Amino acid sequence: MLPELGHFSLALALFLALVQSILPLIGANRGDVRLMRSAEVTAYAQVVFVGFAFAALLNAFITSDFTVLNVTNNSNSLKPMIFKIAATWGSHEGSLLLWVFILTIFGAGVAIFGSNLPTSLRARTLSVQAWISVGFLSFMLLTSNPFDRIFPPPLDGDDLNPLLQDIGLAMHPPLLYFGYVGFSIVFSFAAAALIEGRVDAAWARWVRPWTLAAWVSLTAGIALGSWWAYYELGWGGWWFWDPVENVSFMPWLLGTALLHSAIVTEKRDAFKSWTILLAILTFSLSLLGTFIVRSGLLTSVHAFAVDPERGMYILGLLALSIGGSLTLYAWRAPAMVGGGLFKPVSREAGLLINNLILAAATGTVLFGTLYPLFLEAITGDKISVGPQFFNAAFIPMMLPLIFLMGLGPFLSWKRADLAGIVQRLKFVAGLTLIASLVIWYLYERGPVLAFVMLLLAVWLMFTTLHEWAMRIRLFESDLKTAWRRARNLPRAAYGMTTAHLGVALLMLGMIGSTVWKDEVIKFAEPGTTLEIGDFDVTFEGTDRVRGPNYFSERGILRVEMDGEYVTTLYPERRTYPVAQSTTTESAIRSTPAGDLYASISAPSLESAEAAGAWTLRILYEPLVILIWIGSFMLCFGGLLSLSDRRLRVGAPKKSKTLGSQAQAAE
Amino acid sequence: MIWGVMIAMAVAASAFLFVLLLGKSDGSVSPAHATLAILNDQLSEVSRDEKRGLISANEARAASQEIKRRILAQGRYHTVPQSGKFGNIAIVIAALFVPISAATYYNYAGSPDIASVAFADRQEEIEERRRIEDLTRRLAEQLLADPNGGALEGWMLLGQTYARLGRRADAADAYEQASLKEGADSVVYSMLAEALIVAEQGVITPKAERAIDQAILLDPRNPAGTYYKALAFHQNGQGKMAYDMLVERLETADDFAPWMETFVVRANIIAAEVGAEPISLAQFAPMMAGGAPGPTREDVEAVGEMSADEQNEFIRSMVARLADRLAEEPDDLDGWMRLGNAYKVLNEVDQAIDAYEKAQDLLEGTSSQDPRRAAVAQALSELGDQ
Repeated sequence: MLPELGHFSLALALFLALVQSILPLIGANRGDVRLMRSAEVTAYAQVVFVGFAFAALLNAFITSDFTVLNVTNNSNSLKPMIFKIAATWGSHEGSLLLWVFILTIFGAGVAIFGSNLPTSLRARTLSVQAWISVGFLSFMLLTSNPFDRIFPPPLDGDDLNPLLQDIGLAMHPPLLYFGYVGFSIVFSFAAAALIEGRVDAAWARWVRPWTLAAWVSLTAGIALGSWWAYYELGWGGWWFWDPVENVSFMPWLLGTALLHSAIVTEKRDAFKSWTILLAILTFSLSLLGTFIVRSGLLTSVHAFAVDPERGMYILGLLALSIGGSLTLYAWRAPAMVGGGLFKPVSREAGLLINNLILAAATGTVLFGTLYPLFLEAITGDKISVGPQFFNAAFIPMMLPLIFLMGLGPFLSWKRADLAGIVQRLKFVAGLTLIASLVIWYLYERGPVLAFVMLLLAVWLMFTTLHEWAMRIRLFESDLKTAWRRARNLPRAAYGMTTAHLGVALLMLGMIGSTVWKDEVIKFAEPGTTLEIGDFDVTFEGTDRVRGPNYFSERGILRVEMDGEYVTTLYPERRTYPVAQSTTTESAIRSTPAGDLYASISAPSLESAEAAGAWTLRILYEPLVILIWIGSFMLCFGGLLSLSDRRLRVGAPKKSKTLGSQAQAAE
Repeated sequence: MIWGVMIAMAVAASAFLFVLLLGKSDGSVSPAHATLAILNDQLSEVSRDEKRGLISANEARAASQEIKRRILAQGRYHTVPQSGKFGNIAIVIAALFVPISAATYYNYAGSPDIASVAFADRQEEIEERRRIEDLTRRLAEQLLADPNGGALEGWMLLGQTYARLGRRADAADAYEQASLKEGADSVVYSMLAEALIVAEQGVITPKAERAIDQAILLDPRNPAGTYYKALAFHQNGQGKMAYDMLVERLETADDFAPWMETFVVRANIIAAEVGAEPISLAQFAPMMAGGAPGPTREDVEAVGEMSADEQNEFIRSMVARLADRLAEEPDDLDGWMRLGNAYKVLNEVDQAIDAYEKAQDLLEGTSSQDPRRAAVAQALSELGDQ
């Protein structure tokens, strides 16, 4: 009965969303308070009904109710409970339901916390958000119903793709969706502002936290996905410029730009139109991501969502939402009243350049991702744009950004004193050069670009720390004063410092794990010893292990350094009989200095199997841990900033005090 | 009960909207009001920061001035919200629209009759399956332990069991073992082909095609061989060839057999693609028309030359021969039907009913879609009316 109630519940939610997409708009136009208020009640009702449907599906997965087709196709009675739960959103249908559920949670959030928003703005925002709800709910009910039934039920389910049976990936989609959907709220705010014809302080104050929350989730989602690929796919890489990775990375890049431009809108009442455009584009790219992944347009490691018919529906939604919002923008944006003016050298100008670089980088990734699609559609040729393109086009573009990231926080609002800053940063520049040279000396090889990257990573780290030190007057007064100032510093400031330091560490990790990587792929018999980095790895053979719903061949690798035992690694090759597929489970010894990473592949020849020989892949990746630490710091910085409920205004400094003090209230 | 809960849910959905009508119709926040509230908050924030020593007096003054400028810029926007009759009517309509539309949709797309069945509540079924799996495992171990590599029949049984358990790749493996045995006939190869095709989700691999060819080689009349060969042609884009093959095999069939329905369905699917003539089962299953491979034209002409008594005698002798043969081979379903028909023509009602009832007994073991069922039932009801 529950699955049917869930189904009915979704239908109620769809029609509630339809009501919400029309009534509040009429209300806002006529100035009718009740109609405007209807947006709130329908937002609450939607979260109740979609939440109920989600709970019904979750229950079907937990109890392994195989009368629900979605459960049969994606679960199995033997699967560990945590993955039964995760399977709820592991499938196409379930992930859409999660998408909509998150959307309605955010909608209810706007309804609850928006009491200080102008009533008309709140009504319009919720109404726009309901359009998205209608799109996704109708898509789900018409093409991808999670509550399709079968009777009589099969004895057991087909199991979820074993690659997805992993804790990292169980959390990856929800986080990614929180990010995508978070941007949908920002999009709704932007569209509402365009309909309203104005952007005021209340608008700006609201957009920044939503952007920040979405951005933090997206960052965490991408990092988790990357971490999953690192230890599950068995290649030892953490980023492949795979189209499915790119489509989540593009909203992130543009979302980062949006985050910074929203700061300017909030503090300086400027960049309004630009912020709105970024909000529209960021969400459009999120939709594009959903479209590309769900339509199965791309053949890649993420091959588990293939259905071209559904793709056509999303394509329609995409055209409608992007086309519609951009038309609205073209029509209404020129009417926006511009805000505060600024000089070419100022915080605003710095952030503008940041935005331009990020937007250009997004364009580059978009081009590299979609070019093969267009080429195939037009000429029928199949090509793939690989890491070479992205490394050559994307990385050099990002380098000036890193330089600016170090410099930017020293610039004050409206007008800044460049000479004073150069004076200030002489010391940091020197320190950067020396530290980079020292690191280079330690490793002594690598291409020039890597050296420039290294230089900039270190630069970013030191400037960020220096900026913080300056704010708390670490070296200008006694420690007690510095401590007091450090404690009084707003959390938003710490957020920025943490996130920028995170980027620096991220870069160091990227450089270390690609430029200084050591890799051995060998067809080895038991007793073979391989040398990698400073380690000697001996292959001692394999044994068989049984898991709850799989069995695996486990390699035993004894690791020694200078004749001393370090550890034993157990890379596995798991076979899932029900899903009839195999996965690799890498074994990783992780230390701050670097990861020793081992994976094992099936023997390719039958005669070799008799001899017990296996293909081993062993890598030493220095500093790779910094990638995860850096990602974590990005998220943590975002959360710190989000927790800062202070009101902000960015005031210029009086000319006479230039250079002598930290800049205005952050 | 499910309807009760759904009605409650629908009422709840409406209630959300109806509650609006009870609430106040004023008290909205105007844009100017909201903005001023924020700007005033910012002003007090600045002075708090100044007191905490976070910003200097200069900075505080600059920030305050900035905020005050923004406060002055407000006040241009004024709207006087109200609530009217129009809004109330719209809300009532919406509150009715939501449950009615949802019910209409659900009526079309829902499956209220299907109960949910938790895995934990299916112990008997699970036990049964466990027992079968256990037996299967023992059979597999036995076959593997056999120094002669296991008997052909054993591997076939294992393959069938795996197929029933849904272990497609295992089923194909078992049939493959069977096909390596001496005495593997056409049926073994066609079962292997079928298992391979099912394991590959309907795609005919080269390996499956080899098995099909072998099945046809060993027995060109094995319908399964012909069927999968036709599928292979179809998948290769040779739809016409596949269609012709299916139709030809149907035409050369002696009697109705259940596989013919599958052939007809598949042939019509292909026919729709290649623009060939659609076919029906009646064209190939003579029983559908109530006829039988009876006397030939010569027989009939010969009978025509006889006198009435001679004719009667001849027909009765033929019928008696058939009856004698059926006494020895009582499993001949079509024979009983022919006999029933003959008695019916001769107006021997009781004996006709007898023969048809024998046929009906034999029909118990056939497909429920077998068109002969209808033919027999119709004949019996006609005879019963006499």
